[in-house]
Amino acid sequence: MPPLRFHWSLSSAGDKLRRSRARTVLSAVPNLDELTRFCEHAEACGFESLLTAFSFARPDPLTLAAALGMRTKHIKFMVAVRSGLHAPPLFVQQVNTVAAMTNGRICINVVGGHTPDEQKYYGDFLSHDERYARTDEFLTICRGLWRQEHPVTFEGTYYRVEESRINVPFVAPDRSAPEIFLGGNSEQAEALAIAHADCLWRMPEPVEQVAAAAARIRAHGKEVGLLTSIIARPTRAEALQAAHNLVAEVGVEARETHHRIEQRMDSVAFRKMYTEANASEWPAPYLWTGAVPYFGAPSIAIVGSVDEVAEALLAYKSVGVSQFLFLGWPDLEEMTIFSEQVLPRVRALEAEPVLQGDVA
Amino acid sequence: MRFHWRLPQRGEGDAGTTRTEQYASVDVGVPDLEEQVAFAREAEACGIDSLLVDYSWIKPDSIVLSTALGLNTTSVKYIIAYRSGIMSPTAFVQQLNTLSTLIGGRLSVNVVAGYSPEEQRRYGDFLSHDERYARTEEFLAVCNGLWSGGEVDFAGRHYRVEKGALRTPFLAPDRSAPELYVAGNSAQARALAMAQGTCWMMMAEAPEKIRTNAAEVLAAGKTVGARMGIIVRNTRADAMDAAHAMVAEAEANRVTERSFVQKSDAVCLNRTFEEAENEWLAPHLWTGAVRAFGSTAIALVGSPEDIADGLLSFRQAGVTQFILSGWPKLETMRAFARDVLPIVRERETAACASF
Repeated sequence: MPPLRFHWSLSSAGDKLRRSRARTVLSAVPNLDELTRFCEHAEACGFESLLTAFSFARPDPLTLAAALGMRTKHIKFMVAVRSGLHAPPLFVQQVNTVAAMTNGRICINVVGGHTPDEQKYYGDFLSHDERYARTDEFLTICRGLWRQEHPVTFEGTYYRVEESRINVPFVAPDRSAPEIFLGGNSEQAEALAIAHADCLWRMPEPVEQVAAAAARIRAHGKEVGLLTSIIARPTRAEALQAAHNLVAEVGVEARETHHRIEQRMDSVAFRKMYTEANASEWPAPYLWTGAVPYFGAPSIAIVGSVDEVAEALLAYKSVGVSQFLFLGWPDLEEMTIFSEQVLPRVRALEAEPVLQGDVA
Repeated sequence: MRFHWRLPQRGEGDAGTTRTEQYASVDVGVPDLEEQVAFAREAEACGIDSLLVDYSWIKPDSIVLSTALGLNTTSVKYIIAYRSGIMSPTAFVQQLNTLSTLIGGRLSVNVVAGYSPEEQRRYGDFLSHDERYARTEEFLAVCNGLWSGGEVDFAGRHYRVEKGALRTPFLAPDRSAPELYVAGNSAQARALAMAQGTCWMMMAEAPEKIRTNAAEVLAAGKTVGARMGIIVRNTRADAMDAAHAMVAEAEANRVTERSFVQKSDAVCLNRTFEEAENEWLAPHLWTGAVRAFGSTAIALVGSPEDIADGLLSFRQAGVTQFILSGWPKLETMRAFARDVLPIVRERETAACASF
């Protein structure tokens, strides 16, 4: 397997505790200079791309990516998109325009939406399963346009286009279409990723539990990645201290906020994570759910010493995981630790001749 | 009087560009940032208020392109052309609000209902001309609701939103919502501008014909704008020579343009095309290029004095905003700023003083 690929989330940039707060009290006015510095730091740390998340409580991810793309040189932007908000040809036109202005530094992260209430803000009244069916149609049209199978005519339950063409090509040094990531732990997400995506993001479970899903997806020639938080310190004791400090800092109010958020969600991945976090704080020695009740599902974290974290990443790799999308607190510091300490260790381990097989 | 200019797109060339040439050019779809940023900076130097950024399937996305241009300029604004029916109004407002926070609020919206049923179907829009206006009205009602800051509950025929809210506001030094230009010459467009817009933006007609409709819009507290071209030279004779030369080169496009207009259901395109039967709709207002270049080529032609006269005759009919274009593109914008604008400002002042 080629070297592991690493991405980072821009979603907490500039506000370490953002995820612990209610969405309705958050400001969503981006500070372009600060975000640009964050992007430059991520570039310097060797990350491949930055996720711009989608939420009513955030700036629009595509517009933000376009702006940050103008301000940076190398890093890519992984723009979150939900189906049902844009006509597919318009979405392709927007993505292709960003690509044309940034030398192709855009990829997309397709998400189904996780909270029915929020979907209704956007005029979307479909159920979880219907949203996946619609996303299937959305991606079918988008990919037809990206493959330049002009013109695209499609008649489905949710979308109908006739002789569709977009004159703006996707321009990149090495691709004629953006790389497509798709997030979710549900069966529908897996099927959709196999049908349309290049890589499925899953929330982490212990290595042995990831193995089966990873094998299924890889059998179809698609990649599997993990969306996870990371807390790496020189020693395990320091990492645990950092983890506990984090929870102590946000306190009980954050826990109540997240309990309310959880009640309104219909995302399989997110709900499962809350359940598991209640069941066990340490599903595996390297996997900690202690922050989930305070920061939400994506705060399940790979925790440990630099060596332990590097070994855990390699263990995931041995069962077929090929990419990671990280969150961290505070993210600039965590990014630096990863780049300076964990990444060299990962690359060294990857270079060692090892028996391919079930490490766990 | 406020003067805006249309941003040229890549591959258009500096002379007039026919629709055939635009559609034949793959380049049109790829932004030419270097050229377009240079044009935008020139517009700033010329004192142009805003640049119109077109919307079409053959062109770069106007919101994304305006993002890039906005980050590379400091004072000029962008009038972003967009259509209803291709994006959730909430998502649309979120994109525009995000952009406003990044470029100091220097954007407004030019809402068009679409002019080509064929193109609309490419985006999945199968509605008729009148239904598109009804939908656009709902679209703008949701957008305006979000811009006024509260939670939006809306249940219409085309859109339904429940407790809609966004955390990214529209940020500008002087406004909490963008200016909304509603483009179109039909009665529906005018009604929509009065109901949901801030300015009714029409394709130029004879000022005398505009006056009554304009008065109605002004009475509703909205402004009236007109879109037209400019062909300006030192003398009227030189300007006419330039105008005729431009048309002579594009003679072959008349057939294509006619077939395009025949397939269009937009009132403004059809009406302008018909009116081009008469070469002069008003002193200086020339339709000679419309049959070859399309309705946006209806133009004021003449010396700087003539152009100023023409603009002021629109002013007297109630038109206070103009989206202009010209041929050659860059040179005409410069000539407008250097030769025409001072005359317009002087006469405007004189007109005010006479009250």
